[in-house]
Amino acid sequence: MLLSIEPDGPVPIYQQIRDRIVEAIARGRQPAGSALPPIRQLAVDLGVNFHTVNKGYDLLRQEGLLRLGRKSGAVVRRDASSGPPDPGWAQDWAGRLRTLLAEAAAQGMPATGIVRECEAAVADFTFPAASEAWQGSGSPP
Amino acid sequence: MSAGSLAGVVPVLTVGVLTCSMPAVSRPTVQFGVRVPGERAGSPVIRRERRAYYWRTAVIGVCCTVAAVMTRDYGSWWLPKIILLLELGADLSCFLVARRQIAAVKNADGWFAGRRQTVVADTGWRDDPPRFPVRWMIPALAVMAATAVVGALRYRGLPAHTATVFLGHRVSKSALSALIVAGQLYFTTVLSGLMLIVHRSRPDIEAADPAASALRYRRFLAVITRALLIMAALADLGLLLIALSDWQVYRLSGIGRALPVVPFAAGVLLLGVVAARMGQGGSRLNGNVRGLALAAGTDRDDDRFWKAGLVYVNRDDPALVVAARFGVGWMLNYGNPVAWLLIAGFAAWWAGLAVFGAAAGL
Repeated sequence: MLLSIEPDGPVPIYQQIRDRIVEAIARGRQPAGSALPPIRQLAVDLGVNFHTVNKGYDLLRQEGLLRLGRKSGAVVRRDASSGPPDPGWAQDWAGRLRTLLAEAAAQGMPATGIVRECEAAVADFTFPAASEAWQGSGSPP
Repeated sequence: MSAGSLAGVVPVLTVGVLTCSMPAVSRPTVQFGVRVPGERAGSPVIRRERRAYYWRTAVIGVCCTVAAVMTRDYGSWWLPKIILLLELGADLSCFLVARRQIAAVKNADGWFAGRRQTVVADTGWRDDPPRFPVRWMIPALAVMAATAVVGALRYRGLPAHTATVFLGHRVSKSALSALIVAGQLYFTTVLSGLMLIVHRSRPDIEAADPAASALRYRRFLAVITRALLIMAALADLGLLLIALSDWQVYRLSGIGRALPVVPFAAGVLLLGVVAARMGQGGSRLNGNVRGLALAAGTDRDDDRFWKAGLVYVNRDDPALVVAARFGVGWMLNYGNPVAWLLIAGFAAWWAGLAVFGAAAGL
């Protein structure tokens, strides 16, 4: 997996690390059970402080996407094929999505442009495994 | 020309050739220690400064070599060293002049303004790390073993004090033998140890071409490590030839006394050829693997962490070694305390050697 960050960008580095790993899981490049690089190693490879990588990994752990073990290291806990997310998480995500869409509308982005961006994102993060999992357990949230 | 005067002229000529050719083997996106976007690598200021640098360093190299040749018969040991230092100082000045000119245009025109500056890590690199070629250490170890065997066989038959090829005076046989072994240990352990550290350090990946540059770096690391291990074996062989002469196994006169310099020179030549063919991080390798992954932006403008464009100091970067900015090789991160421990280790080694040499009358 190629992981790129913008160290001098406006988004905090730990957040960028978290975002890139979430994208890799969504694309199926880091399936459930796969190991992520050790914190120290990723810090060396990106040229950032250990604590920054640790903070990014800890965010993923809190979100339930990562399991951090002393012996096993950082392992992806769930992916698109792991079944539907918690109802509470889906509700929270829908709220954040509404805020994002509201930001776009408030900035004057046309509805067609918003839909086009959303479709492009869905096409990028295709969920064949997730669709199968959801079909098996009922309807998508 | 005697062996001693040849040993004074060769380093001056070698430094002249190496410093003059540095820009040709550096990364195109780092010009004289200044990070530049890929499409600016051929801008007029860079072309002009590269041309000026080649001319200036070539003239300096020729003048210093001629001076070293003309003064070779004065017999003073310090004169070639003064010429070498003057040459290094003049070459460094040429580098700094070119760097200042390019940095001025880069900052004035805002070459990085509005660009997405990224750092890329290849997590797959750690799943399939490049292997250190342990078997390529065998030649160096074999030369060291041969030195130990010949030394053990010859030691008893030697007089208590023996004349040395390069020092020109007599020293005790025990001190001389210990010095030879210490020198071989130094070359082998330092070159192997540094390359082991480099194998664990981060790969030099370009944001504009991440997957292909990772592949090129892997190839570069494999070849340059083997070349350096051969270089260690050749340096050990040079020391063995000195030892054999001092242990009276063979005797040469005149220019023939410079025979031990030949393996060293061959090693430097080998490294030069490898560096010229591969370029820094494999940047001169065939680009037919381009396009494996999308460009992740432009390399980060990290000039502020490079003092004088040559010395890397970044306290937030846990890396111990990073790719060098000028020429081919690696540079310590002086913001990492471990780098200072390493330097202290080197200093202690040389200080110990100097004390031992002084005590033994070398």
